[in-house]
Amino acid sequence: MKTVLKKSITFIFTVLLVTFFVFIAFELIPGDAATARLGTNATPEALAKLREELGLTRPFFVRYFSWLASFFFGDMGTSYSYGVSVRSMLAQKLPITLTLTLMSFILTVAVSIPIGLLTSKYEDRAVSTVLDVTGQLTMSVPPFFLGILVTYIFGMILHMFTPGGFVSYNVNFVRFIGYLVFPAISIALPKAAMSTKLLKTSILSERNLDYVRSAYSRGNSTMDVLYKHVLKNAIIPVITFLGMTLADIVAGSLVIEQVFSIPGYGRLLISSIANRDYPVVQAIIAIIAMIVIIINLLVDILYRVLDPRLRDM
Amino acid sequence: MDKLVFKIKKNPELYAGAVITAVMLLVILLGRLFVPYDPDAMNAADKFARPSLAHLMGCDNFGRDLYARLAAGGATTLFIALATVLIGVVFGIIVGAFTGYYGGALDEILMRFNDAVLAFPSILLALVVISIMGSGTFKVIISLGIVFIPSFARIVRSEFLRCKNLDYVRSARLMGAHDLRIMFVHILPNTFPVLLSSTVIGFNNAVLAEASMSFLGIGVQPPSSSLGRMLSDAQAFLFMSPGYAILTGVTIALIILGFSLLGDGLKKNA
Amino acid sequence: MLNVTDLHIEIEDSFIPETVVHDFDITVSAGEIVGIVGESGSGKSMSALAIAGLLSRKDMKKRGSILFEGEELLTTPRSRLRQIQGDDIAVVFQEPMTSLNPVKKIGWQVEEALRIHSDLPDDELKKAAIRMLKDVELDDAENIYDKYPHELSGGMRQRVMIAAALICDPKLLIADEPTTALDVTIQAQIIELLKRINREKGTAILFISHDLSVIRSLCSRVVVMNKGRIVESGSVEEVFNNPKEEYTKHLIGSIPGFTKIAHVTQSENTDKILEVDNVSARYKKITGYFQIGSKQKLVVKNASFTMYKGEIMGLVGESGSGKTTLGKTILGMLDDTEGRIVHYSQRPQMIFQDPYGSLNPTKTIGWILEEPLRINTDYDKEKRSARAKEMLSLVGLDESYLSRKPNALSGGQRQRVCIALALMMDPKLIIADEPVSALDVTVQEQVINLLVKLNKELGISILFISHDLKVVYELCSRIIVMKDGVIVEQGTDKEIYDNPKDPYTKQLLLSAGYTD
Repeated sequence: MKTVLKKSITFIFTVLLVTFFVFIAFELIPGDAATARLGTNATPEALAKLREELGLTRPFFVRYFSWLASFFFGDMGTSYSYGVSVRSMLAQKLPITLTLTLMSFILTVAVSIPIGLLTSKYEDRAVSTVLDVTGQLTMSVPPFFLGILVTYIFGMILHMFTPGGFVSYNVNFVRFIGYLVFPAISIALPKAAMSTKLLKTSILSERNLDYVRSAYSRGNSTMDVLYKHVLKNAIIPVITFLGMTLADIVAGSLVIEQVFSIPGYGRLLISSIANRDYPVVQAIIAIIAMIVIIINLLVDILYRVLDPRLRDM
Repeated sequence: MDKLVFKIKKNPELYAGAVITAVMLLVILLGRLFVPYDPDAMNAADKFARPSLAHLMGCDNFGRDLYARLAAGGATTLFIALATVLIGVVFGIIVGAFTGYYGGALDEILMRFNDAVLAFPSILLALVVISIMGSGTFKVIISLGIVFIPSFARIVRSEFLRCKNLDYVRSARLMGAHDLRIMFVHILPNTFPVLLSSTVIGFNNAVLAEASMSFLGIGVQPPSSSLGRMLSDAQAFLFMSPGYAILTGVTIALIILGFSLLGDGLKKNA
Repeated sequence: MLNVTDLHIEIEDSFIPETVVHDFDITVSAGEIVGIVGESGSGKSMSALAIAGLLSRKDMKKRGSILFEGEELLTTPRSRLRQIQGDDIAVVFQEPMTSLNPVKKIGWQVEEALRIHSDLPDDELKKAAIRMLKDVELDDAENIYDKYPHELSGGMRQRVMIAAALICDPKLLIADEPTTALDVTIQAQIIELLKRINREKGTAILFISHDLSVIRSLCSRVVVMNKGRIVESGSVEEVFNNPKEEYTKHLIGSIPGFTKIAHVTQSENTDKILEVDNVSARYKKITGYFQIGSKQKLVVKNASFTMYKGEIMGLVGESGSGKTTLGKTILGMLDDTEGRIVHYSQRPQMIFQDPYGSLNPTKTIGWILEEPLRINTDYDKEKRSARAKEMLSLVGLDESYLSRKPNALSGGQRQRVCIALALMMDPKLIIADEPVSALDVTVQEQVINLLVKLNKELGISILFISHDLKVVYELCSRIIVMKDGVIVEQGTDKEIYDNPKDPYTKQLLLSAGYTD
């Protein structure tokens, strides 16, 4: 019960901290929303009037909490560049970035867990060395370069997809997924290589612990020791890593969208930064921040389910 | 000789990483010193020139020598990484040492803050800073540097937490050593093995982050050359001249590979 | 039943292949308890693990023969070996804290061997496990069945390990230092438990230990090992009463067997050096950010005693008794304390338990020794170094150690350096917190002799904190007994050992095997 209370406090504290950070960051930018709307040539009277209307004259904390409240109720302001509500812009693009992120994450897990088990099982055979070296090379390739390689090999040489030929989900869902497979691979492979390596290191170090010797002494086979004893212990650090990776994948998709010309949050964010369209930038950052915080919370809960030692801490 | 083979077998990452890093540094250095072309000099006649004795790696869309540009871009990238990591390490040590050694409410608040910041992908944070300050080499360094402080602070802090209750620290306290002496003379050297490998891994992250930002066009601005920016340019000519993109990408990948292997090797040794 | 001949174990892991066990022979008959004794690094645990079939690392080469019930275990395929492991041969390990899987319930782990070696349904398994838990004298077995290892104490976990080992009623139980990590009173209980099991079930036990007195009280035959070789073997009476080999004699000679070292007489001096008056200490355990539910635990409760100049005083208690905390409180190393502490001398010093943690691994011995002078005096480099050399030679180390780093030293050498460090500021009182418990017996003896020498020659008073009644008996003239943070009894050595008043003191003496 105390744990739940503590966790909730931490959660709320983190949400406040992060949103405050996002809010204050954009307060520091020279020029405010009024100058941004009316331009630098506006008369001081017009500016003052607009400031009053926009509530910019209110005290700092009042503005913060009113911004926070309207953010949670879905009012994220109006885009400077397009004059439409930020919410509608983001809502339309959400499925694209979300699908890409989820596909990449699923690929990461689906590739790394079986390969991690395989390479630790055949720890001192050639297969394992080949997999390890391949993994080490893969994880050094920056995702955007991998994206370019994928474009070149699968797009331009093998013609498996048309680079730049993105199809939106509301036009043709199958082709939408078909296109996203390639960027998802580009994001997932380096992450999968890291998670494979971590799983292997974790399994190998768990294997040296005393309880594994006890398990062998009772007549367990190597397989049983791995699956019934070691795995549940070894997976714990991997879960943390995957949690962090999910956040990284969100960031990775921002970059990869640029490589594959996918009109998701990433492209919008970059163009908004270039256009100084701050309400959009602020909203995207805040949304991603919330996603990251929620992922962290989920990982924390999963952790406690897996490791009884943490339950009463 | 046998002994060297044995050492390499025991920690292949360390030696492979050292060799790759050394080779990359050498290639960049040679490129800066001995390639007789200005990395920014355009020459329409050499547009997309194939590799030859005159242009070892060929030329780009403006007929600029690719080797000269890669060397210049690599140097920029490494310089930014070095400066970034330096900021991260120095401030990380200060924050980590004080929070780890003293603990208490300040530590709790700073660590909450740290955790919140650490939860974010570094590029995203750097993007926030960049979007406030604007882009450019110096601003990339500052923004990435700030972003790197928490991770180093956390490492130093946990090392300080581990060490501060060890008997040799108690014994120093008993001798009458004051806190600053205990922190920086007694404890700090003990964090070096861990700090060293994290610093090298930090390099790896800094190179990746800088390249990503420049690739997105919000990092280093032209005319400064940067590997990320070059790769972004090369993408446009991918079909016409795949070598341009591949050479640039491989350069980034090899720098990252070298540092990450070196970091792993050092971690194993620590 | 078990017949090992000519066992060799070689490790090829390091650069130079190394034979860690040579010509190892042992026989264990049904129902017998045989001991293997040796200091750390003697190869005793290696041999035992090899017999249990648990040395399967690829970098290890084994030669010789291990016959169990007429079957050669060294060459038998893994699949057959697995049928024997846990069913006919079971093992209990040294570290009860780490030998159980942290994420599995106790019941699941106790049942495991039976689940593997039989096809009993789940409810039968559970019944057997609970019966077994009760059999190893765990009250509340039903409750423990559903707990996780971290919820149990060390002694309870070791009982669980024994229950898990015995559930298939094995013919041979290999116990590898099963009591080393436990407190004396618990140690004695586990030994009694093993004796009872051997008596009632006829399980043969191969007992590995560094502790000769435990071997003596439990085993009928013993094998003495040193540096991978068997030095001597025979019946316990033979080996203990009439040791043939030099090493065995030396080993038996250095058992602290309730003998006084030289003449440590009670000091006549009535000048006080330390006065502790009604002292309490608590640890604050902060569990929340803003101290939500911060717990306060009193670790030392109203302790009072006086020490006189030139005496060696023993402070005895088991882990958790608060003895170390009291020591730290006296030196002002804790914040949250109450009561009055009066020092009648300058700069009392402390020697810590773990010689590996008490020297900064990044500095040279010379640097470490000079540090107190650097901080507290304005001596120049030469003067400091001269003093460091002087103290090193006093503890029996030459000046070549000055330039070495701690990890190039053995445990005993490090503890000497720690003593030299304590001496640098010329203290009149030293608090020694379990200074020998991390050391091998023979080294223990040397360090204790050194402390006695310092006491006699330099007149340094020592507060000697220990869990070991035998060691305390060797050098202390007065003794304080602590339990759960309270001083239950204090008095002269004669009063405490020959005429203990508190039931806990009596129990401690009994577990340590003291008979006058």
